[in-house]
Parts: sequence; structure tokens; C-alpha cells
Amino acid sequence: MPSPLDLLTLPFMRTALVELALLAVAGGVLGVWIVLRRLAFFTHAVGSVAFPALVVSGPIGVSSQLAGLAAGLGYAAGVGSAGRTGRDASAATGLLLVASLALGVVLASDVVRAPAAVDLLLFGTLLGLDGADIASSAVAAALALAATLLVGRAWLAVAFDAAGARALRLPVQRLDAALLALVAAAAVAAVPAVGALLVTSLFIVPAAAARLITGSVGALFAASVGLAALQSLVGLYVAYAVDISPGPAIAVVGASLYACAALAGRSRGAAAQAPVTPVLDARGVAP
Amino acid sequence: MPELVDSLLEPFRSGIGQRALLEVVLVAAIGGALGFWVLTFGLAYGAESLAHGLLPGLVAAALVGVPLLLGGLAGIAAAALLVGLAGRDERVGTDAATAVAVTGLLGLGGVLALAPDVPPRLGELLFGDPLAARAPDLVAAAGLVVLAGLALAALHRPLAAVAFDRDGARSLGLGAGRVTIALLGLLAATLAVAVQGLGNLLVLAVLVAPPVAVRRHASTPARAMLGGAVVAIAAGVVGLYASHHLEIATGASVALALCLAAALGAGFPVRGPRAPARGRLRRAPG
Amino acid sequence: MSALVEAGGLAAGYGGRPAVHGVTFAAEAGHTVAVLGPNGGGKTTLFRALVGDLVPLAGSVRVTGRPAYLAQTERTRLDFPVSALDVATMGALARSPWWLPARRADRRAAAEALERVGLEVETHARFGALSGGQRQRVLLARALVQEARVMILDEPFGGVDPASGERMDAILGELRGERRAIVVATHDVAAARTFDRVLCLNGRQVAFGEPGTTLSRAVLEATYGSEIVVLEEDGGPVRAVAVQHHEH
Repeated sequence: MPSPLDLLTLPFMRTALVELALLAVAGGVLGVWIVLRRLAFFTHAVGSVAFPALVVSGPIGVSSQLAGLAAGLGYAAGVGSAGRTGRDASAATGLLLVASLALGVVLASDVVRAPAAVDLLLFGTLLGLDGADIASSAVAAALALAATLLVGRAWLAVAFDAAGARALRLPVQRLDAALLALVAAAAVAAVPAVGALLVTSLFIVPAAAARLITGSVGALFAASVGLAALQSLVGLYVAYAVDISPGPAIAVVGASLYACAALAGRSRGAAAQAPVTPVLDARGVAP
Repeated sequence: MPELVDSLLEPFRSGIGQRALLEVVLVAAIGGALGFWVLTFGLAYGAESLAHGLLPGLVAAALVGVPLLLGGLAGIAAAALLVGLAGRDERVGTDAATAVAVTGLLGLGGVLALAPDVPPRLGELLFGDPLAARAPDLVAAAGLVVLAGLALAALHRPLAAVAFDRDGARSLGLGAGRVTIALLGLLAATLAVAVQGLGNLLVLAVLVAPPVAVRRHASTPARAMLGGAVVAIAAGVVGLYASHHLEIATGASVALALCLAAALGAGFPVRGPRAPARGRLRRAPG
Repeated sequence: MSALVEAGGLAAGYGGRPAVHGVTFAAEAGHTVAVLGPNGGGKTTLFRALVGDLVPLAGSVRVTGRPAYLAQTERTRLDFPVSALDVATMGALARSPWWLPARRADRRAAAEALERVGLEVETHARFGALSGGQRQRVLLARALVQEARVMILDEPFGGVDPASGERMDAILGELRGERRAIVVATHDVAAARTFDRVLCLNGRQVAFGEPGTTLSRAVLEATYGSEIVVLEEDGGPVRAVAVQHHEH
């Protein structure tokens, strides 16, 4: 068994550690909003939509961060303006997801001829993280915290009761757009480390697990970030020890934590008050 | 003229090409027809979750040497169970809980696929490969078409009655729960067979793209199912041609052709009276 | 003469909590029963228990054969690709094996039922393209095809244009003569007086019996609480109007 201290002594591991710590903050904080506003499918789709953009970014000479961001924000804008509901939206999202993954694989295998990129982009990489990735994750974490502090109460009001929030003259449409854009940008920043398929491992799983063990909003954020950090640390070590991409390891660790939280929460009694969580106002991002 | 015919037949001269064609046609036929009900009953997200979540089953089957069909079925069963368990607590919400289960399963599949010294061909499991179709796969696909086709014919009236009016269907003696379970069973069987050719990440296209393509143009469920099957087969063949002539991945090519068909069909102007705007349910007083 | 619908001490509700309880009544063949009560008073819950959609929390319920059920709101899918004839034909599912396609005799019965409700012109029209009143009549045609002896209608006249309403009224009169039991939820107290029996619900059974003797001012007030407006009371039958809430 490799020593856990390698996480601190090996340079590439230190980079990965910093990256994942930042992503744990972004994912833990934004994850709470994603769970409250039913954006799970949206978040998963953002990762997939970024995949083809990231495949071509290198060969066409564009920074991967910018390419991914453009794809993610473009998708968020499309969702924001589509305004469809229910069945139609799930079908459209599903097809877009498939088309993005298929396009990415075709580009990677047959156009750009870098088939190895597929596994790396889908499941994440330990070795390939650089300063640009850390920078974008730092920005994502900072924005997540700042936004939560500044407009968190407004977002909460919209989550509880969108119609009432409008009556309070809150700019619901712009608040929603801001949330979608922020989630998209942060999810894209997570792709290099955990992979396009497993963005939700940091952006939903910790927050969902936190939801099972705490009830108050403040504790929810703290628990979510804490669980995300724990999950990333353990997952990173497992990935290093077994020699696989970090994404799957972090995902499995996260799911296990969720299972523990479910059992722990059950024994405490499911008496925690659940805030009313209406769908993101007919934007069609929930099934 | 003979050259045109030649080039049309060229991809299918070899045994591999013929088997790929047969596989795609069979899967497209049943997927395109079943897809109408999948869409109508709002099961697109569920289908996508099951498809993604069955990955560990596929990988385990590949590692152990068991037929992928069995791995797929086991994977679906595990995914359905875990999604159900995860969703039990209402505080998290079904979509987030489903995402937790699916992410965990995808991660597990990734771990199983990337860890071993001799890894299974993960790319084929994820993205499919119709060119790898062998006789047992074709037998399974043909069996699915026959059995699922018969089931859909027999269930046609109950499916329509429940989709149209759940309460009324109940009074006609048709339980919505039992009908939905039957539909889910057909969905599971179709997914398990179709992942061979399309892979678990792309298989959703064969179920969702055809009904999206035809829904605004079909005036009855039967026409929607038939149209869906035809569109799916056509898209599948186009995908095979594109794969052959452009030399791109076959499964992805078929998936892209299906998605393109959906975009065209959904955007195409509708002849005749427009379908009415989706009515919101008028909420009942009391 | 045994009743086609019988309930004894029936309680029904959701999640273990009864929305209505203490319901004891019987509907004989050839009888019409008007069910009165405020919104949320338990009418729909009772109907769902009668149809078999809800398992009773207490008491008993017995219905002869499979009742035809017209649910309250438009809970049908307006975008589902079916014609009026297709919908009416669905009624035959109650009488023939579901795994076989619709027989020609069934489709003919459906066409005749549509004719009876005055929709022969709209037979092949898309269901979702019809007006509210026309759709209600198509559902009534489906109930006719079902040949149910018991028919349960949840506010069938709500939001329906006068022409459709009259047509439906006439048909209900005919159905009465056909020895069926018809249970109708309505807000129209005056119309309820023309029924054979009335059943007043307000979370519990307030009264059941012939309208003449049952619809006293006390019963109406117990049923509707503050939602009733009494128009006049001079020794004759109490004339009152129930306030209807419309949600938008």
C-alpha cells in the first residue's frame, strides 16, 4: 500500500490535492443549490456537453478552460431561454447528452486522433492537471462562496416559493440565470479532475448526503463541503493506490458516504423539515 | 448505375457488415416503436438512468467472461434497486437521489474497468460497436423483436387507455401500476439487448430520438410506433453508411444519425391542424 | 331490490388520514344520487373509493360490476393522439379481453354512443382539439360503451357550455330509465332537488335521503358552512346557492 504521505510529497499529487480541495468547496456549496432547485439532470448534462469542446480545444489551439466554459455557458443559456417543461425537456436533455458524448468520441477517435483522451476526459486524470485547472477551480470556488453570501437569501426565497418571490419584486429570471451559469462554469472546471461523466459526484452526492443528516441551511452548507472534502481526500488516495482515474474512486467513495448518511439519518428519524422545492420555474431542467 | 448500386451495397458485402446491418435494423425497429410509450409515460429520465447505471454489470460480465446480455440485465436490476432505495427519503428529491445512485454505479463501473491489469474494452461498453455483433447477439435481438413486438401488440389498448386517462383506465379494470411495470420490463429487455450495439451511454438515442422525430406528425399511437420504427431504421442505416465512408466510430455514428433525425423531425413544420398547446392540468377545486 | 352501490361506515383518505368518514348510503337501480358538499369536502375521495382507486380506511363499499367513472378535472392528456371515436371505443375494454384489438362491434357501439351524445360530426376529430363540453360528452360516450350499470360522475357540468350541459342532462335522464344507478357530484343545490336521493358530505356524512326531506336549512349549513347563501325561506323548500371557488 502506498503511503498516504505521498499525497503531500509528490508534486503531481499536491496539485491534484489542491484542485480537489477547491472543487470540494465549489461542489459542496453549489451542490446545496443544485439539490434544492432540482438541477441534477442539468448538472450531469453540462459535463457531457463540455466533453466534445474539450476534445477539440487542444488541436484547434484554444485553451481547454475557455472551450469548456463556452460550451457549458452556451448550454445554460439555451436551457434558460427554452422554458419547456416535463417530458419534452427530459427527452431533449437526454438526446443532447447522447449527441454530445457521441460527437466527442467521434472527434477524439477519428478526427483529432487522440483516442486516449476519451477515458481521461470522461473519468478524470491525476497527472494531467495544471495551473490553469487550479486557477479555474479557484475562481469557481470563490464565485460559489461569494454568490451564496450575496444572493443566497434571494435564491432561498425563490426555492421556497417562486411566485411569492416575484411578488417581493425579486428578479427571479436573472437570479435563475445566474445560478445556471455558475453551476455550468463550476461543473466544467471539475471535468479535468473527475471527468465529464462524474461531475455529479462532487456536485450532488455530498449535498444530498448532507441533506440527510442536517436540517438547517447553515449546517447544510458546512456538512456538504465537509463531506465533499472527505470524499475527495479518500477518493484521491484510493485512485492513487489502485492506479486509476480519480473520478470513479471519488464517485464510489461518495456513494458510500451517502449510504452511511442514509442509515444514520434514518436512525435519527426523518423529522427534519424539508423546504418546499419547486422545479426551476418551467425551465425544464428536472425530469 | 451499377457503380451506384455497388457503392450502396459495399458496406454490407462482408459478413461483419451484414451482421451490423441486421443488428441495427432489429434494435432500431423495437426501440423506435417502444420509444413512443417510453416518451409518453415520461420514462426518458428513468431510461437514461438505467442505461448509465447498468455499466458495472456490463464490465463485470466482460471481466468474468459471461455474455454481456446477462451482465446488462443484472446491471439494470441493480440500478433499478439502488435508484429505488436512494429515492426513499423524500428530503433529497427523486432526481437528486437518482443522480446519486447513477453516479455511484458509473463510478463503480469505471473502477472495475480501469483497475484490472487486463482491462475490458471499456470504449465498446460505453459507446457500442455494431461491427462486433456475432450470431448470439443477433439471435437475442431477433428474439427481443418477436417477444417485445407481441407484448406491445397485446398491451396496446391498455397502454393507450392508461396514458390517456389513468383514472378512467382504473374504472375500466386496468391498473396503471401493472401496465407501467409491464412497460418497464419491456424497457429493461430492450436496453439490455441494445447496449451491445450502441453502448450504455448512447443507447438512449434509439428509444427517445424516434418518438421525438415523429410525435408531431403522427395522429395515432400505432402510427407513431410504426413511424418511429421506420425513422429509427433509416437513421441506423444512414449511421452505418456514414461510419463506413467517413471512417468514424460506428455506434457513435448511428447515435448521431438518430439525434439528427429527432432534431429534423421536431423542427419540421407540421402539416394539417396544429397539435394543441400542451394544456396544463386545470387544478381541481377540492 | 338490492342496491347497485352500497357503502357502510365508509372512511377513505390519503396517507392513512381520512378525508371523509362515516359514509353510509345505497343507490338503487334506476336511482340518481346527487352528492353535495364544499370543495375539499370529500366528494372526489368518496368517488375514488367507489371506483376502487382507494382502499377504504374503515367500513365497507360494494359496487355491482365495474362502474363508469368520469373524473372531475380534465385529467386526460390533451396531446395524446386519439380521436373521439378512439376514446369512446376504450369503453369496450371493460367488456372484452384487453389483449385483443378492438372488435368491429365495439367500434360501432362507440360510434352510436357518440351519436347519442350529439357528436356524430366530431367522431374522427382529435380529442384534444375539442371544446371542454365536447370532451366531457366524449367521456360520457365512453361510459355508455362501457355498459356499466353504475355511473359515477364527478362534477360533470363544471365549466361546460350550456348546449353540452343540456345534452348531458337529457342523456342522464335517459340513463335513469335504463335501470342504472347514477351518482353525480354537483354544486347545484336546486338541481339536486330533482334527483332521487341526495348525499351531503363535509369531511363526514351530514345527511342522506330524499331531497325534499333532507335538504333543510340546517343540513345545508352543516354541509357548506359559510359557503352557502340562503335566498329565501318562507315555509317552502329552502332555496340556497353554494359558493363555488374557481382556482386560476
